[in-house]
Amino acid sequence: MVEEEIIKTVDLNLWYGEKQALYNVNMSVLANKITALIGPSGCGKSTLIRCFNRMNDVIDKCRITGSILFDGNDIYHANADAVEIRKKIGMVFQKPNPFPKSIYENIAYGPRVQGNNNKKELDAIVEKSLKIAALWDEVSDRLHESAMGLSGGQQQRLCIARSLAIEPEIILMDEPCSSLDPIATAKIEDLMLELKKKYTVIIVTHNMQQAARVSDFTAYMYLGKLIEFGPTKQIFENPKEELTENYITGRFG
Amino acid sequence: MNTKTKGDTLFLHPKRNRREKGIRSIFFIAAIFGVITIFSILFFLLKEAYPLPTDLWSFLSGTKWSPTESLQFGTYPLIVGTLLVTFGAMILAIPLSIGGALFISEIASTRVRSIIKPAIELLAGIPSVVYGFFGLVLLTTWIKDFFGVPTGETWLAGSIILGIMAIPTITTVAEDAIKAVPREYKEGSLAMGATRWQTIHKVVVPSALSGITGAIILGIGRAVGETMAILMVCGNAAIIPTPLWNTFSPIRTLTSTLGIETAEVPVGGPHYHALFGVAVLLLLITLIINMSAVYLLGVLQKKHGAATKKKKPVLSVAIVVKIKKIITSLALLLFLLLLYLITGILLTGLLFLLGVVCWVLIKKISQKSIQKLAFSTIGASIITIMILLGVLLSYIFMNGTAALSWEFLTEAPRNLGRSGGISTALIGTLYLVTGAIAIALPIGVGASIYLTEYTKESVMTKIIRTGADLLNGTPSIVFGLFGFAFFVLYLKFGFSLLAGQITLAFMIIPTILRTTEEALRSVPQSIREGSYAVGATRWQTIRRVVLPPAAPGIITGAILGIGRAAGETAPIMFTAVAFSSFFPSSLLEPVNALPYHLFIIATNVPGTAARTAAGGTALVLLLLVIGFYSIAILIRNHYQKTMKW
Repeated sequence: MVEEEIIKTVDLNLWYGEKQALYNVNMSVLANKITALIGPSGCGKSTLIRCFNRMNDVIDKCRITGSILFDGNDIYHANADAVEIRKKIGMVFQKPNPFPKSIYENIAYGPRVQGNNNKKELDAIVEKSLKIAALWDEVSDRLHESAMGLSGGQQQRLCIARSLAIEPEIILMDEPCSSLDPIATAKIEDLMLELKKKYTVIIVTHNMQQAARVSDFTAYMYLGKLIEFGPTKQIFENPKEELTENYITGRFG
Repeated sequence: MNTKTKGDTLFLHPKRNRREKGIRSIFFIAAIFGVITIFSILFFLLKEAYPLPTDLWSFLSGTKWSPTESLQFGTYPLIVGTLLVTFGAMILAIPLSIGGALFISEIASTRVRSIIKPAIELLAGIPSVVYGFFGLVLLTTWIKDFFGVPTGETWLAGSIILGIMAIPTITTVAEDAIKAVPREYKEGSLAMGATRWQTIHKVVVPSALSGITGAIILGIGRAVGETMAILMVCGNAAIIPTPLWNTFSPIRTLTSTLGIETAEVPVGGPHYHALFGVAVLLLLITLIINMSAVYLLGVLQKKHGAATKKKKPVLSVAIVVKIKKIITSLALLLFLLLLYLITGILLTGLLFLLGVVCWVLIKKISQKSIQKLAFSTIGASIITIMILLGVLLSYIFMNGTAALSWEFLTEAPRNLGRSGGISTALIGTLYLVTGAIAIALPIGVGASIYLTEYTKESVMTKIIRTGADLLNGTPSIVFGLFGFAFFVLYLKFGFSLLAGQITLAFMIIPTILRTTEEALRSVPQSIREGSYAVGATRWQTIRRVVLPPAAPGIITGAILGIGRAAGETAPIMFTAVAFSSFFPSSLLEPVNALPYHLFIIATNVPGTAARTAAGGTALVLLLLVIGFYSIAILIRNHYQKTMKW
């Protein structure tokens, strides 16, 4: 199988007001792989992942230069439409953020806003998405109850199912396990390995074991710069940069 | 793979984009409406005030206001009257309100709070004409008998009524400020072994100080702008009390002058221009007052918000402490001097001694006892507020039930309201309120959607928000004069239902805007991001994810607006109402309204029959408005409990 590049950043710089948060980031992500972004707090990894689906658009005073090429097209081109991009690049957030609606409506939301109101099709999409997210067995008998009643881990899997319902090509996960307990975390990690068969996954994580366990590629960031990027095995066992090694081995101060 | 065709779908959808832009501009138009309104109010008042019958200086400093006989237009006594009555009101309102705010936010248990807070909010909902009626029949009689003065319609009566009216404003805003103090501050203090009272007065109050000051200034603004109640209890003689602290002197304010004289003034004459000059003056005073309140409350937000850049203080800390000490001792001296002037040497000495003894005692007794003392003072203030509310409500109830009957509600008034009922007033109020909310709701909600959902914080949003804040603080009588000049005269609507509806709508737009904005902001940003992340457009996100959970808050705001519109007299007095026994048959005819009906029969119709009818009208109006407020408060409390994020 030829490894295909699906999305890459070219000289990406980002400012929040006066403060520069990303410096000349160049990295390319391969399809059907899990790419992990790691680094200390405030290093820009969450900022970077939010660039991939233009989620930073909604933040005040955010300014970006450079480009991100998705299948060869610049998503920051003047004519590119954030709404269309987000249909192809889904996102799961740090804290589970289900809508205050029923479980069913949470998942049907994406297809609905894209104009699909066919009950049969929606039923099928909801079932399929919940099954992939390994949540179907737990909630199939209460699809029309409020999603706010689910546990944190269930809510996060619901959010994953919600992002799957629109059949994206890439799924971005911004510290998806940071508010979950170890059991729920293990479930989400299993899910990620399952997801990469069909999707490309980019994940931000604080947890280095998690990056080592699930990802194929790892990017280490520090102070807004991409320090090192390569196969996970190499980053963890044989880092080329001293900064990376310090962080991996816990000598980071 | 053919990347070209695949990528093409990433590009803009012109049709959808046009629709999104269209929706956005609709909301934008709603948002700048507030700014346009405030400027057009100022413009029209200025236009009608020109030319002033005298030069500006004698208009401000002339000591005689006699617009019809000697054609003297000095507003000085009116300004002094306004200041004195407000000053007296604040002496009553500030300690009670701050005590109340501290009690609600720091001392009361959840259960007690859930009773007292709505009670104080109810106090805010009582129409000013009902306060006026209460003051006129009960308070002024009491003052007359208790102090043995010839008439009870005095500065004192005005200050007491106004003080009660300002309590809810100050209490709720101050409470918000105290609640905004981060819990960590308190925990830090308690963890070092401070008592709860030490924590309150050394940590909580200082950090909330700018907010509490803002609350007081808002209360002052409210008091300065109040018309109907003041007009009914102050005696309205345009004189400066002699001596200045003679609280039993009748007094006349800027607002009551407008309330009394506008209806009968010949349009275009010198008196007419002078009255609009008074309105401009009033508007400017309240604008300044409200701007400073908005500024102070903004300071508070910044302090607890994101890290701010530390500015280097101009004066060193030591000098500031010294200056503070000097100011405190000067204030103490001034206070003693005033006391001496009013009460004479003996009493002053006695009081001073008492103060010293108290001070020494406080230094000696334990922190525990100080806390007990402080808490009982605070408890006393909240009990006073509750007693005031209780007396007011029970009096209106007892006075009103005699007149209440089915006929009273369904028959038109006869013989100037002495007999018959209030059906025309009741229906007129419903018409006015329905029209006002139909106009105000779309504009208010639209503007707040624009402010919260479509804009990043910028100069534009600041201007819009300030415009709404100023509109909120604009005295209702000023809306009345604006409506008179603009709708009645300039657009030639005449005294009409329509003119009244639009004027009331202008007045309640800020209320709706504020509550809606709050409701929208309480929907967490993460929910919006979740919606964007699955490819929803902004409008889809607003309509499907943001508005549904915000709906109860928006409905609450709308009902509060309805309650406010139903109780207001001043804005409709010169735009819509006529004391009539007929129902309007078109939008361009005048209507009767409950508050106006009450005002007329309470002040202009003598006799016990009229008094009874006035009592009944007051009760119906009170029940109507309290009904709206209770529904609003219930909805809000219900959803605050069930909605968790």
